[in-house]
Amino acid sequence: MAEEKQNLLQLYRFCFLMLADAAKAQEVFHATLRDAAQQAADGEAPRDRLWFFRNARWRCLEKGEQGLQAEDVDLEQDELADWAPSQIEKLEPQQLAVWVSGAPDPQRTALALFYLDEFDYRDLLSVTELKPPELSKLLCDGRRQFQAWLDATFPSTQT
Amino acid sequence: MSAVQLSRKEKMLVHCAPIREERVDDRALRTALHRARKTEAFAIQQDFDKAATALVQAIPIPQEITDWIPTDTFIAPTRRLWKKYAQNPALLATGIAVLVIAIIAVFQLVERMNRFPGEPSARRLLTTASSTHAMMLDPVKTDAGALGDFFFMKHRLVHYDVPPEFAELKTLGCRVFDDEEGQRVAQVWVVEKKMQFFLFPAERDPKTGKAREFSGWRTIEQERWAGVVKEQNGVCFMAALRGTAKDLAPYISKKKE
Repeated sequence: MAEEKQNLLQLYRFCFLMLADAAKAQEVFHATLRDAAQQAADGEAPRDRLWFFRNARWRCLEKGEQGLQAEDVDLEQDELADWAPSQIEKLEPQQLAVWVSGAPDPQRTALALFYLDEFDYRDLLSVTELKPPELSKLLCDGRRQFQAWLDATFPSTQT
Repeated sequence: MSAVQLSRKEKMLVHCAPIREERVDDRALRTALHRARKTEAFAIQQDFDKAATALVQAIPIPQEITDWIPTDTFIAPTRRLWKKYAQNPALLATGIAVLVIAIIAVFQLVERMNRFPGEPSARRLLTTASSTHAMMLDPVKTDAGALGDFFFMKHRLVHYDVPPEFAELKTLGCRVFDDEEGQRVAQVWVVEKKMQFFLFPAERDPKTGKAREFSGWRTIEQERWAGVVKEQNGVCFMAALRGTAKDLAPYISKKKE
């Protein structure tokens, strides 16, 4: 039960990363749990924890379409820097969530799931419905784009 | 850090490398990571990912969420999938080894069940059959069943009788010789399928000197030759031909008195 509770806390964090909005994340979280409870009551309980994340993913994408949309632009990319951890430490979780939620899907889902540090490689492929090279490229590009954003946000730390 | 060159596939896997070691459950990924750990780029990537993960774990959980988490589980009990076990290399190797041992054990058990007293002699005579020519035998044209009296009268071989199943077959020739162990062996050549018969003393118990009996017909096959053997009154009879045991099956399946 402790493990499932931990999973559900991670589910909320996933929703928050996907939406960057605590209220919307809560709505999706509650809707997902209601759906699971309904299915369990009908004798068809979800088979694994991935079901929750798949379900929440689509709800988040649906919710995300209702608000402002990020422009589809090619973001700058920088090589990962060894000072990146000190740049990231200066961020608030909300800032990271804003950045992740602004990414186009499926990169958004891939980054949100990956940085939850909750899944293995196969689980990631299963939930994102991506092929290994696609997932790899999205994560690699995501890191570099985030690094470029960090460099733009905290330029002084590079020196 | 040494300059390790990663293949394209390894690079692809390394980009998806989980932050925690225990999440690595893929063999190819493990191999790629083993090589990547020697590179500086991977160390930077890992530090980057760890920092980002720490930030994600710092996302505050609202009280409403904590309160809302149910006390009972919604997830169906996990069923152990055989596929998952089958993909485990250690279990797969153990399974294959057990299977091979089981096959060998069954093979040996079947072979042992097929063994009978006098089998070594029968196998030797099967080799003799494969190297015998008709001209080496004394010409005798009669029914095989009639040779019992002939062996008794001429060679004083008691109970060297051809069983009823083969008694009606016409003979071409016969001979009596001593085998490697000095046992008296009667050999008969019949017309049908160039079949050969052998009559030889049954194996004896070294302590009591009694013949070791066995019931029914026993089959042996060796180097494209097949034989069916029966013991009666301390004498073994073997019908042999070039072919398989299936070729002899019709003869021994018919009951005759």
